[in-house]
Amino acid sequence: MALSGITVIDVSGTIATGYCGKLFADYGAQVINLEPPDGFVTRYHGPVTDSGADPERSAMHAYLSTNKASVASAELSAQKRTNLLTHADLILDDGSPEIDLPTSSSRMSICWFGRSGPYAHFKGTDAQMFAMNGMLQSIGPIEGPPLIPKGPQAQIVGGATAFIGAMGHVLSRDLGNTTEAEHLETSIFEAMLCFTDVGVISVYNTGLQASRMGINRFPPTYPLGIFPCKDGWLGVTVLTPSQWHAFCDLLDMEDFKYIPLFQSSVGRLEALDVIEPAFAEKLKSFTAEDLFYRGQEARIPLARVPTMEELFGVDQFVQRQAFCTADMGHTQLQVPSTPFRLHATPPAFGGVVASLGEHTKDYS
Amino acid sequence: MDRQALEGIRIVDLSMGWAGPLAARHLADMGAQVIKIESLKRFDWWRSWEATPEWIEDDGAEKSVAFNMVNRNKLNVTLDLEDPRGRDLLLKLVAGANAVVENYSGGVLPKLKLGYDVFCQAKANIILLSMPPFGANGPWAEFRAYGSTVEQSSGLPHLNGGPDDPPTMQHVAYGDAVGGITGACALLVALRHQAKTGLGQYMDLSQVEGLFPLAAEGILHYSATGQTPSRARNMHQHHPVHGVFPCEGEDNWIVIEARDETEWQALKTCAAPTLDAFDNIDQCRAESDEINKVLSTWTRDQDASTLMHALQENGVPAASTLSASDLINHPQLEARDYWQWRDRAVVGNQPNPSPPYRGDSPLSIDTPAPTLGQHNTDVLSGILGLTQDELGDLEAAGIIGTRPRMPT
Repeated sequence: MALSGITVIDVSGTIATGYCGKLFADYGAQVINLEPPDGFVTRYHGPVTDSGADPERSAMHAYLSTNKASVASAELSAQKRTNLLTHADLILDDGSPEIDLPTSSSRMSICWFGRSGPYAHFKGTDAQMFAMNGMLQSIGPIEGPPLIPKGPQAQIVGGATAFIGAMGHVLSRDLGNTTEAEHLETSIFEAMLCFTDVGVISVYNTGLQASRMGINRFPPTYPLGIFPCKDGWLGVTVLTPSQWHAFCDLLDMEDFKYIPLFQSSVGRLEALDVIEPAFAEKLKSFTAEDLFYRGQEARIPLARVPTMEELFGVDQFVQRQAFCTADMGHTQLQVPSTPFRLHATPPAFGGVVASLGEHTKDYS
Repeated sequence: MDRQALEGIRIVDLSMGWAGPLAARHLADMGAQVIKIESLKRFDWWRSWEATPEWIEDDGAEKSVAFNMVNRNKLNVTLDLEDPRGRDLLLKLVAGANAVVENYSGGVLPKLKLGYDVFCQAKANIILLSMPPFGANGPWAEFRAYGSTVEQSSGLPHLNGGPDDPPTMQHVAYGDAVGGITGACALLVALRHQAKTGLGQYMDLSQVEGLFPLAAEGILHYSATGQTPSRARNMHQHHPVHGVFPCEGEDNWIVIEARDETEWQALKTCAAPTLDAFDNIDQCRAESDEINKVLSTWTRDQDASTLMHALQENGVPAASTLSASDLINHPQLEARDYWQWRDRAVVGNQPNPSPPYRGDSPLSIDTPAPTLGQHNTDVLSGILGLTQDELGDLEAAGIIGTRPRMPT
């Protein structure tokens, strides 16, 4: 596999370090969870399976941990633990100052705010990251409160971003560009600015800052959003003049097609009170499925908006094996597959989840 | 002098918009030489999707903040790939590259008589990354999508908002930035394999599948329980206090959470005596609606930033909501030199975000985004050895140049 021969040790077991390590494990690196006596915190993270018992029933931990080893740190002698860490190509941790690690191994600390600066000691959460990167302010009803995006999204973004930095370092060694061990870090806060840094620079240049416009309204693109149809929800994005013309054709809105103001996205946004009632009414005559396929045929980027249940049955995702099986022993769990595919050296699709300390004896 | 991590790697970047260019930019930030290819008529649509002659006259192509943000540290070459001479020059560049990145709509590469097999003829061990929104195979392989479409298709909107809200989006183009991160991950894995074995390969990613990890909590909930997760606006299934509360001024808010007894008691201390009627966190779980009301009353007349600092100093997770204008001078970002200011033709001194991964200091941004065709001579003469006369012929034929033309 593409990353065979690389050894990565996760000593913190957050969702961020877990996802970073998962990308290594998916492509064949040996990834070891060096866990405390009760196991990593991800072992207690919801959702949990109906079967099994703590610490072996977290679906989130299972998703993050296929094809990794689990070693109980306290059961290793100090010498064995040091040997294990010293021979790692990379150690993943959350930047906690109390962690004592050998300096001879490279290290990626994935911290909420980074290891320096006045916020370095702040507690971090996924919701906070959306508040601080500027996204939260634009999500939700005009009158507020803003709506917090669900789940540990910031930690996943932080973990994936850290993987880029970590892989850059691993590759640097392979290329002979460095021979030194390095202590790298990734700030989850800074990683989350990837969604808003264009907006920050734009506001710096123009001084113009849009206020929250309501659920599913994000200037300057219009029409944009998720709308009810006769059956199901349709995702709409109309950006270019040709897409607007095709959208009007699709919904038999000839009167709107060539109105000069409607030829630009910003113009349509100004006139949303006129445009939206007209097309929203038309959408109710069709199923989302029908409009999705006919829209795509007309080169309009329309979307089906599947529920969690529907996701698993979408043809496209089934054919691409977008979901695979995490084998928890007591349960077989469907989880997302690795989101990128090398064709000659494919990733593991699913795999076994190690129980706490299952591999301790291999390293004792 | 220290070598940069990816020095010696060369990437040909055919991608446009946000996701593809961001993927290649991550490699450029770590020292890879990234050569971005555009044509004068089919320039990167992120410069504008509504080009007019006036826009061209006004140097509009060089003013796009979005384009400039994801194309720094790259070289820029114009080539008309519909002309055999332009196509031939592209293949010569591919012959000296490690990898090619493309995110054209389905059918564009074959129409240009390009593709993985053609690139392999130019360079046997080339890596090609294709980044279509739904993946390179399957019935939707040629369907179109923006970052918004990607989010709509990912299931994520069904996790957000309340039971009476429509499926709720998070961003104008959420899938794009994530697609860029996923693309960079893919390139690095394939480059490592190439460095170790000498072999190239084809790879693709589905930008929609790239959002599944972000929707994992909902996906796993359904997978583990057979139930669709409930939507309860800002209530959190496991965190008893988890909300956005109003603060002093217009549209100012603070996120406050208490995830365990320690944080709950710390919050009670900070808010004393407001929360004294509620004893422990178990009671808090049962009465979260009432607690939210009490907390809203408590926060309403307080300055969001002052309150955030007071709560954080006492161990309560809290963050005031920030707007774009708050982030350019944010103390945490200033202390870490996050914004790197670089002078750029046409637009002047501009802030550039640092890569979020770093050592003791951020990776230095060597060059701002190039202008259209800025490196035609450097690349076509410097790398491919073309003469000034040959460059002149290409320019006269409209195959290269430095001014965009109206798309036809």
